[in-house]
Amino acid sequence: MNVATPSVLNITDLLSRVDNDRELVSELFFIFKSVFPSHLQRLTDAVANELSKQVETESHTLKGMLLNLSAARAAAIAADLENMGREKRIAAMRGALTEFQSEAETLLSQMESLEFPQ
Amino acid sequence: MKILIADDDPVSRRLLEKTLLLAGYDVVAVPNGMAAAEQLCKQDGPRLALLDWEMPELDGPAVCPEVRKKKDQGYVYMVLLTSKGLKTDIVTGLGSGADDYLTKPFDSGELKARLRTGQRILHLEGRLVEARENMRFKATHDSLTSLFNRGVIMELLGREISRSRRERVPTAILLCDVDHFKNINDTHGHLIGDEVLQEAARRLLLSVRSYDYVGRYGGEEFLIILNNCDPVSAPRRAEEIRRSLSDTTIQTSVGPLLVTMSMGVHQTENWGVRTVDELLHEVDSAMYAAKAAGRNRISFTKPDIPSDADHVVPIEAEKSFR
Repeated sequence: MNVATPSVLNITDLLSRVDNDRELVSELFFIFKSVFPSHLQRLTDAVANELSKQVETESHTLKGMLLNLSAARAAAIAADLENMGREKRIAAMRGALTEFQSEAETLLSQMESLEFPQ
Repeated sequence: MKILIADDDPVSRRLLEKTLLLAGYDVVAVPNGMAAAEQLCKQDGPRLALLDWEMPELDGPAVCPEVRKKKDQGYVYMVLLTSKGLKTDIVTGLGSGADDYLTKPFDSGELKARLRTGQRILHLEGRLVEARENMRFKATHDSLTSLFNRGVIMELLGREISRSRRERVPTAILLCDVDHFKNINDTHGHLIGDEVLQEAARRLLLSVRSYDYVGRYGGEEFLIILNNCDPVSAPRRAEEIRRSLSDTTIQTSVGPLLVTMSMGVHQTENWGVRTVDELLHEVDSAMYAAKAAGRNRISFTKPDIPSDADHVVPIEAEKSFR
């Protein structure tokens, strides 16, 4: 098993939180990969249209999801985006979104590289 | 125990669901606050709930007051799940009616421990409700027979007479007295007398409909109120009740005893302007007439009373019914 870098996906922490239930982790990854693209799309649209309230809401949802998956770095960027949305810091959102997209790409590829039973 | 999980995040929902299933809970998972409130407001809905803070339609803190509005059901212990960490958020959450909160990502050990706390509270509430119901029962029921006690059956009688007057529907009042009860006590002792009263009460209760009332009026006297009992049915029903006691011997600790009762019956929808006490006096007279006529029989008061009448004459001999 290729254990991911803790900063992107802390698989040790995640496994410890689910009593080492690898099947469940695999199921959670599957769910995340199914719903993440639509959330990211809504976040991207909200940033593009400068809809700060929607940025706040979508980022909050993504933050919760990522925290549950022990993806601390992506969760931290989502938290930043949530704050920016709340504080209506439109200009800062674009840079943070780019950073988030890049982090998410790394996260998704790390999820793919893990060999858990389906 | 049934538990509700409300979370729009499918990852979190599945994680919670699996954790709680493994912990032995019966899980109901919903994706929004509206569905959560609907489930929790059901009479047999979950009494333990994990509510995500941010949800579409109705968020966690908005679900809590909706559930608290329902006062006719048991307490619901609600835990808010949040990735908000500010003290003001926590104060808002608890102020909305939540009992506790947990920060995401949750630790499964902490989650289970907090839910056990909730279960303890619910268990305690269950015991308090049970104690209250026991007290309510004791305050309204006779301790020997478990029938309504005198105070309650009198109150029900007053209410039924008022309803009968108002709706012009006939009601029958039956006053029953166990025959020769003093002899039973003197011959076999009070404990056997108690056994007789308990069995008599049980049979009276079994011989009426669920919406009729039976109460212990005094020592060996029982008061029965038959709602919506028309003049044709009343004698037949009174006779069935009388025979419920006399047709079969009562098994007691000293062997089977044949026990009978005498009954006074007052049946009408036209009660005039008399008070409940006056009506009871009349039905009591009818009951004594049944005793005087030889016991183990029924005596009726005059069935039809003019609306302005202020008295009734019991008819004994010609109305005696055995």
